[in-house]
Amino acid sequence: MPDGYPVQNPRAAWRVYEGEVVIVSPEDSTLHTLNPVGTLIWEAADGRTALASIVGRVCEEFDVDRATAARDALAFVEQLCRRGLLTVLDAPPAA
Amino acid sequence: MDELTVEIGGVRTAFMTVEPAVLDVVAARYDGFLSTAPPDWRITVGLRPEGVVDLEDVVVRSAGGLGRLAVERHDFAAILDVPARTGTLALGAVDHVAVDTFLRVTYSLALLEARALLVHAASLGHGPRSWMFPGRSGSGKTTLTRLSPDATLLSDEISIVRLGDDGAARCYGSPFWGELGEAGRNAAVPLAAVHFLRHAESHAATPLTPRQALQSLLPNVLFFAAEPALVARVLEVAGALVERVPCFALGFRPEASVWETIHGA
Repeated sequence: MPDGYPVQNPRAAWRVYEGEVVIVSPEDSTLHTLNPVGTLIWEAADGRTALASIVGRVCEEFDVDRATAARDALAFVEQLCRRGLLTVLDAPPAA
Repeated sequence: MDELTVEIGGVRTAFMTVEPAVLDVVAARYDGFLSTAPPDWRITVGLRPEGVVDLEDVVVRSAGGLGRLAVERHDFAAILDVPARTGTLALGAVDHVAVDTFLRVTYSLALLEARALLVHAASLGHGPRSWMFPGRSGSGKTTLTRLSPDATLLSDEISIVRLGDDGAARCYGSPFWGELGEAGRNAAVPLAAVHFLRHAESHAATPLTPRQALQSLLPNVLFFAAEPALVARVLEVAGALVERVPCFALGFRPEASVWETIHGA
C-alpha cells in the first residue's frame, strides 16, 4: 500500500470542468488535463489525507480493485511529482 | 515632460517623456488608438544608455514585490508595477517595434485586471456581432481575414476579448497586427462565438465543451508572467469566457462560403 501525504503545488492554478480538472503548471504555464480518477486524486491532495485513504476513495467511486488502484495511484502521483504539480509529505503538517 | 495616451481594449496608457521622438513613434504607430481621456496606466519613457543589447527573447521576471515585474528585450528594458499601474521604459531603439513589443507585454497584464485577454487570434465583426478565431501561425487567421472583405477587421493576429460588468464578452479592435500589417478598427463588438481554426477539405464547425474550449484557448493566450496569482487570473478569465461564449472547432477551406458555416453554427 502506498504511503505518504500528497499535496498540491500551491503555485498551480486549476479549475474543474465537467468532472475533469485543468491545471496550469506554475513554472512553464503548461496545461494539464486529468481524467476523473486523476481529478479525484488531485482534489484530495491536501497534504492531510494519506495516499492509502485516497486509494480507498478511488475504489469506492470507480469499479477497480484495491491492488490495481494502489499501483495506478502511486504511478500517477509520481508522474505529477515529476511535473512539479505535487509533492508527497512523510506526515501531515502539524495543525 | 510631454504626454500621449493610447487606449487599447478600453484601458488607457499614458507615455510620459522628454524625448519628442518617442511620442512621434507612438503617435504614428497607434493612430486611431489615441485618447485624450485620463489614463489608467502611466509609463515614464527614457532612453537606455547602452542602446541595443545582446538579448534574443523577451525576458519577464519578478522585480521584487507582488505584481512588480522587470521586462527586458534587446531593444528595451522596463519595470512594471501592476498594482500601482505605473512603469518605466528605457528604449534602446526608438522605433515602433520596441514600443509595440513593450505594449504587448504590458497589455497582457493591464487587460487581465479588466477581465480581458490578449489572444493569438483573428477577430472580425459583421454588423452588431463579432467572431474570434484563435490559432497558431499557419492555422488560417490571415487567410480567413482576406476571405472576409465585408467584415470589420478587429485584428488579424492579436485579438482583445473582454468580459464586461454586464456579463457579456466583447471583442475590441487591436492595434497589434500580424501578416496583414493593418490595425483593427477601434471598436468594441459583442462576441457571438469563438472558432478555433484549422485548414480542412470542407467547412465544418464542431461544438466544443467548455473544457475542450479552455484547452484550445489557453495555449493561444498571450501571457508572459509566471506569478501564480496572475496565472490563476488568466485561468479564471479564460474559464469564464468559454462558459459564456459558444466555442467551436472550425475546419475550413479557403473560400468565403465558410461564413455560411460560421453564421449557421
